[in-house]
Formats: sequence, C-alpha cells, structure tokens
Amino acid sequence: MSIQEIILKLEEFWSHNGCYIASGYDNEVGAGTMTPDTFFKVLGKKPWRAAYWQPSRRPDDGRYAENPNRVQKHNQFQVILKPVPENGQELYLNSLQFLGVEIRNHDIKFDEDNWASPSLGAWGVGWQVMCDGLEITQFTYFQQAGGIELSPNSLEITYGIERLASFLEKKSNIYDLNWSNNVSYGELRTEEEKQFSVYNFETADIDMLRELFTLYNKEAIRLLELELYLPAFDYVLKCSHAFNILDARKAVSVAERTSFLSSMRDLASQSAKLYILKTEGKNG
Amino acid sequence: MAEFLFELGVEEVPVSYIRDIMNQLVKGFTDSFTQKRIEFESIETAMTNRRFLLFFNNISQVSGAKSEQIKGPSKKIAFDEDQNPTKALEKFLETNGIKESDLEEIETKKGIYLGYTREDEGDDTKVLLSILIPGILDKMSFNKTMTWNSSGKSFVRPIRNLLAIFNGKTIDFQFAGITSSNITNGHRLLSEEKIRISSFQEYCEQMSQNFVIFSEDERKNKILTEIKDLEDDLGFKVKMTDKMLEYYIFNNEYPVVFTGKFDEQYLDLPSEIISTFMINEKKLVPVYDNSEKLTNIFVGISNVPDESEFVSKGNEKVIRATFEDAKFFWDNDRNDDFKGLREGLKNVMFQKDLGTFHEKTIRIKEISELLSELSGNPEQTKNIGAAAVLCKNDLLTRMVGEFPSLQGIMGGLYLKEKGEEKDIWETVYFHYEPRGFVEDELESLNGGILSMGDKIDNIVGLISKGTKVSSSKDPYGIRRDTSAIIKIIIDFKLNFDLKSAINFTIDKFGIDEEEREKILEVVTSLFSARMEHFLKDLLFIDNDVVNSVIKSNTLFIYKTYMRAKAVFEVSESASIHHLIEIHKRIRNIIKDTETLPVSESLLIEPEEKILFEILNETKLGTEKFLMNNKYIEACSNFIDMKPVVDNFFEKVLVMDKDEEIKNNRIGLLQKLNELLLQIADFSILTEKD
Repeated sequence: MSIQEIILKLEEFWSHNGCYIASGYDNEVGAGTMTPDTFFKVLGKKPWRAAYWQPSRRPDDGRYAENPNRVQKHNQFQVILKPVPENGQELYLNSLQFLGVEIRNHDIKFDEDNWASPSLGAWGVGWQVMCDGLEITQFTYFQQAGGIELSPNSLEITYGIERLASFLEKKSNIYDLNWSNNVSYGELRTEEEKQFSVYNFETADIDMLRELFTLYNKEAIRLLELELYLPAFDYVLKCSHAFNILDARKAVSVAERTSFLSSMRDLASQSAKLYILKTEGKNG
Repeated sequence: MAEFLFELGVEEVPVSYIRDIMNQLVKGFTDSFTQKRIEFESIETAMTNRRFLLFFNNISQVSGAKSEQIKGPSKKIAFDEDQNPTKALEKFLETNGIKESDLEEIETKKGIYLGYTREDEGDDTKVLLSILIPGILDKMSFNKTMTWNSSGKSFVRPIRNLLAIFNGKTIDFQFAGITSSNITNGHRLLSEEKIRISSFQEYCEQMSQNFVIFSEDERKNKILTEIKDLEDDLGFKVKMTDKMLEYYIFNNEYPVVFTGKFDEQYLDLPSEIISTFMINEKKLVPVYDNSEKLTNIFVGISNVPDESEFVSKGNEKVIRATFEDAKFFWDNDRNDDFKGLREGLKNVMFQKDLGTFHEKTIRIKEISELLSELSGNPEQTKNIGAAAVLCKNDLLTRMVGEFPSLQGIMGGLYLKEKGEEKDIWETVYFHYEPRGFVEDELESLNGGILSMGDKIDNIVGLISKGTKVSSSKDPYGIRRDTSAIIKIIIDFKLNFDLKSAINFTIDKFGIDEEEREKILEVVTSLFSARMEHFLKDLLFIDNDVVNSVIKSNTLFIYKTYMRAKAVFEVSESASIHHLIEIHKRIRNIIKDTETLPVSESLLIEPEEKILFEILNETKLGTEKFLMNNKYIEACSNFIDMKPVVDNFFEKVLVMDKDEEIKNNRIGLLQKLNELLLQIADFSILTEKD
C-alpha cells in the first residue's frame, strides 16, 4: 500500500468516525500537536473531532538521506477526539484493520510512553503503539495544554506515516517506499533531505536565526497585547522552528535553552488563555 | 457460603504499577471485610497489564452480626430533680434514635451510667459489596495519575470494565462512569467477542479459550520453558534479567518466545552498545555463545503466536534501523576530540546553584583522590584523578545526548577508542555503578571509588543547598546515591570512616563552621536510614539488632555492617542472654549521668578491684579485635567478663553513702558501658524464644 493510499484510507476511516478532515498546517511545526486544530481545540469544553496529514520538521533528525529510517521532515497523521471516546483503543485497532493489517498475526503492544512538550506547556499520558517492534503510533490522553488543565480530556492518536508504510510495504528503507504507484519516497525526498541536512547541521546562519528568534518573539508579544492570539501563536511556532535549527547547529547553550523554552512556553500559555477567554467567555 | 469474583479491566497499565495496584486492591477488600465481619476461606489473585482479578472462595453470604453497648450520660445527670430527662439524656436518645424504654443501666467504676445495646444484625454481603467496591476503588492512589472522562476519577490508565459476580449474580454498582456487569473480554488481538461469566470456574475456562493465560506463574513458566528449549537448540545462552522477565510476564497475556538475527557487520560496534540498545530501546534479549561472546541472535516475547514469522521479521528490520542509528552516533562521536569536550562542560550546568559540570569534575577529582587513599588504593590514586577529570565529557557526545542511560559507559568506550590506559578508561566506564543494592556484583574498584566521589559530591552539594529528601520526594535520587555508596563500601570491604570524606566535601562548597555541623548531621542521618533499610530489608537482620548497632559510629559503614552481622550471629546463640543482662544492669544504674572519672585509689572492695582489672584487660583485647573487624570474638570476650560483673553487683553496693566512692563506681560502670557500645547497645536486644 502506497503512502498516499494510507493517507486516503486514514482520512476515509476517521471521516466515517465523525472527524473533520483538516489540511495540514501551513507553517513549520515539529508535530501535529502544535497546530491550532489541536493546540487550541483541546482547550475548553466544546467537543471536537479532527483528522489531518501533517508534515513535521525535526531538523536534528536529518541524516543526509543516508539513514534508512531518519529524516528531518517526516509525515504524521494526526487524530484528535474530544471528549475521549470509551472505545478509543478499539477504534484505533479497527483503523489498522481498515489499512489491511491482520491484527491476529502481529505483536501490537501499547507500551508506556508519556508525552510532554515543555515549549507548549502540555503533557499527556499514554503509550507508543509498537507493531512487531516498530513504533507506529503515539496514543496520548491529553491532561494539560498551554499550562491549563483540560476538561474534558482529549485523545490524540498520531500515526507515523513513514513507519506505518514501512510496515505495510515490508520495506526496511523508507526511501524505497512508494509514495504513489508511480513515484517513490526516494525520488521525492532524497535531494530535500540532503540539502536540509547540510543546512540544518552546517550552514544555517546562526546569527540570523538568533535575530529572527528575537524578532518573532517580539512580534508574538505585540500580537498578544492586541489579543490576536492566532497570529501570535503562528509566531510562537516560528520561534520554535528557529530554535530547533539553532539546536541542530549546536548553537544553544544550556542557559540559553532554558530561557528560550520558557519564553516560548509563556507565549503559548498566554495564547491559550486568550483563546479560552475569547471563546468560552463569550459562549458561556 | 458463596463465591465472589471481581475483575478490574483497564487499558494497558505500565508494568511498574501492576504489583502496587494489586496490593492496594487486596488490602482494600480484606480491610473492608474485616470491618464488616465478612469471612472468607481463601483469596486468589491474578494480574496482567489489562486485568486485575480477585477471587474470594467460601465467603459469608451475610456479614457478621454484632451487638455493642453504647454508653450515654451518667444516671446522676440524666434526670433532673423531678425525674424528668435532662437535655443531656434527650440529646443521647435523639442521636441514637432510641426511646427511654430502650435504656439500660451500666455499672462502671465511676458510678452508674445509662446506655443501650445496639444490635447489628448483619447485611447481605452482595448488597454490601455494591457499596464497598466503589469505595475501595476510590481510595486507591498513585504518584502519577490521569483523568479520561467526565467522572473526573483518576487512575494510572483508563478503567474500562468492572466484572463483579456474587454467586452467579452481578453485583450492581457504578464507578468512574462504568456500570458493573458479568461481562469481560479476552486477549486484545486474538479474541473478539464479549465474554459472559457466572462463576470462577467459567472464568478460568473462558480465559484459556480466549487466549488469556491469567496465572502469572503459568506465563512465567511458558516463557522460561520456551527459552530453555531455544538455548538447548542453539547451544547458546539467553541473558534475561529478572527485570526484563517481569516486564514480559505482565506485558503479555499470551506470551510467545521468538528469535531473530541481525547482520553480523553490527557486531563491530562495542558489545555494550549493542546490548544496551537491544534491552533498553527494543526490549529484546541478547544471546551469548559459550565463550561469553555476543552473537547476532536476539530473543523477544510476542503477545501472539508467530507462525507466519511476521513478528520475528519485523523486529529484525527494526533492530537493524536501531543499530544504524547507534552506528551514526558512534562514528560521529569517535571523530571528535573526546578529551577536548571538557572545555564544553563549562557551559553545562550541573544543578542550579551548584555550578557547571566543569567545576564538578574539579571537586570529584579531589574527593576521589582522597577516597582512593582512604580505601588503601594509593597506587591507583593518580589514575582515578585522571579519570575524574574526564568522566563527564560524554555528556556532550551525541550518543549520550540521545541515550542518557549510556552515561559513563560511553565515556569509557570513547577513551578506550582514543588509546587511553585501561586503568583510566575502565574507571570512567564503571563510575555510574551500582544503580542500587540489587545490581550484580561490582567489577571495578577504581570505578567504585570514582562513583563514590561523584555521589558524595551530589549528596553534600544538594543538601547544602537545602534539598529535602523523603520517601515520597527525592527528585535528585539522593537516597539512591547513598545506597550506592554503601554497596560499594561493603562489596569492596572498604575499611574507612566516611566522615572525613564528607567533611572534606563540605569544605569544597565553602560552607561555614556553623552550617557544617548541620549538614553533617543531615548526611549522617541519611546514611543511617539507608543503612538501616539495607540491613533490615535486604539482609533480613532483626530490627532490634540493627537498632543496637546503627546509632554509634554510623559513617564507618563497613564496621557498622560487620558489627550488625556479628551481633546478629551472637543474638541467635544462647550466650546473648548474658550480654543483654550485663548491659541492662549497667544501663539501669548509670542512666544518663554525666561522665565521671575513675580513680584506682578509690576502689575498696576486692570485687570492684577485680572488675577494674578485667575491664582494662578486656579493653586491650577488644581494641585488637576491633582493628581486625573480629566482632564475634570481641563479643565472647565480653561474655567472659560475666562472672566478674555478677560478683560485683552481688557484693558491691554502687550507691555508697560516700559520694566520692559512689561516683567512682558509677564511673567504672560507665567505662564498661562505653566498651560494650563499641560493638552494640546490647541492652535493647530482645531474647529469642
């Protein structure tokens, strides 16, 4: 099964289960969790079901296209269910069966793995789902986001699309995967992975990125003062990506790391508070 | 008599919580049953990461009846002059819901009181259980919990099913938004339908038909038998630790052993890296050949049978990817100037308020060098100092950044790679060991010494900054560090007083005289508590024996340990009686009096003169024994004094009219007490039957 079939099938499955199919967010993010469709929507009381394919950037994971499994940009399929359904695990296993996995023949385990994002002030409890030893999904019950206790809780299911495809296509090198029947992952991505690895590890302009971080940070603060939490949050995401590249360049000292992270956490939590104030405050 | 079956169904709880959950359930039920006077013949329990089963056999249908006399006001104040009930009596009648005619007189030492007999007839156990079970579940508590639905109840992972059957009938109750039922489910992947249960026997049958081996022993045996078969087939050794076995037993309801292979080229990586990655990252077990060499075979435990070999092939692919990662880090880090990384430690904070890792290595070097001398290991002091300087460099390697559990190990391996001397790289390699008391035997004395230096620095540094330690709160693992030091000292038989090293470390933090005493006190009590735990809970030495040795000279760890072992041995023999008696008599007389001098010229009676002589003789002998840690011999030396001491107490009156003579005799007994205390406070021991 090709990558695009996996995405289409997951969209179909979750659409049948009441999810709105969103587009991936058009800003660099490290994970589907960081997009407004998750970050804001898990806050407050209003029920929410969304599913979307989200390309995710982790500059430090680049391997110059030489590692069969690691890439600086990978693809996630993100599902958010709020409130938590009673049969979340069954739904998830059904989605695997829908993709053609014979679950009786595979060692599928829910293995303890709690999740926390210091820069988003968020944490949750859950598992990594292992399939024959391969981590294919993160399954998390959100407890807090933007520093705010969540009620109701949300269930987040994040499929690693490359992982899932390696498993379904029985390939051990992701560059050999079929994106569609006509084009491979390698054809589409090799050059991109090479160039971005060189950029992230070797040539990214450290001074410029530091300056950008400061500018993005300032802009987020300004926008929050204007109560424009959505654009403000966009700038928090930009800060986060700039920080990640600096980190891949080994340009962040320990003291700096703490202050970068805490400034991002503050901004994210202020955005979250504003969201609650603006939406819940109005509706009751 | 009836049977009661309860199964708590949950989403996969982490293995580390499983025994705790069951203990809390068993305690909750048995406590409630005692309180309600519900009797049962036997209890069976079983648990996996998805279910917790409790089965009570021959349980009473009705809780025990009870009659109890309730005392009210005294007769005097119950009625006024006109024999009408007073407010006090009215209140009593009202709160207990009784009439005046129910009252009876109760005779007490203080006179006659009024009261009544409350008859509790006992309730239907099934009805009681419907109230008790939600209460028991509600009372369970854990250090990290979550919420998942609008009930707001918290648990380790979501609760999804409550099976509760009393003699074939469902016990009706609700908890965390779930209604109890007679339904449960089988294996997550191998069984689909809901299972209806009416009895324990049916439960057993249904579970085995639905691929759940609910007995812990059965799962364990299945795993161990399959591994044994495999070892016999291959002629190799599968190295499974107890911790891994525990993980497999609880993480699989239908465990099946499988094997796989990886490409031999990865055996070029250091075997420590391979095994650490297999165990920690992939939960797979390494396999060794007869000459203890790592092979390219691995063993894993699957939750489903693997006839089609999907599980095995899948894991082979995954482990290849993992080793590919390891190789990337290993090759990259090896190209770095490892010793040069030390400069970078100037930017890495050790702890807030405690400076950088660079500063820490300077302190560890000096502390470890001192410890090396104290340990009688002077020829290695230079190497240990050199290792201390380099021991934290690996914090800046990519490998440790990604896999922190490889700290120390990687530093050692990178130094070895750079051609460093064995005495130095091995010291770095082992300097995080041990991680607790249960760890295997320690291998490297040098590593142990550096480990102590590192840990004393942690303990003293953190405590000097006001870090508090308790059983529930120990964020920096100070208790674990303390235990590790004790283990190192005992394993390597390091005969020195830790006090000097601790004082030396306190000085490194620039602490003033006044603070110093306080910190030393906290550190001492920390060691005393861990030592107590070690002796009582791990060596199973009786409480009274441990208490008799722990208070004096605690920081001389090895001696305290040897004293405890010797006193324990002596306490098992009949002669302990003499020591207890002698010491008790002495303590009874001297109590807490201030130390008094003894003057030979004031000794009058022959019995006290002899005691004085024997005391001095024994003291000399004891010193020799103590020096060589021969505490059993020292004890029998004490026992030999018994007739002389007895004679003294028989013939000599300590409390003489003459104050000087009296004080002299008390002083003599104080000396005797001091001598005995060098081994133990025998006066607090209890004699065994």
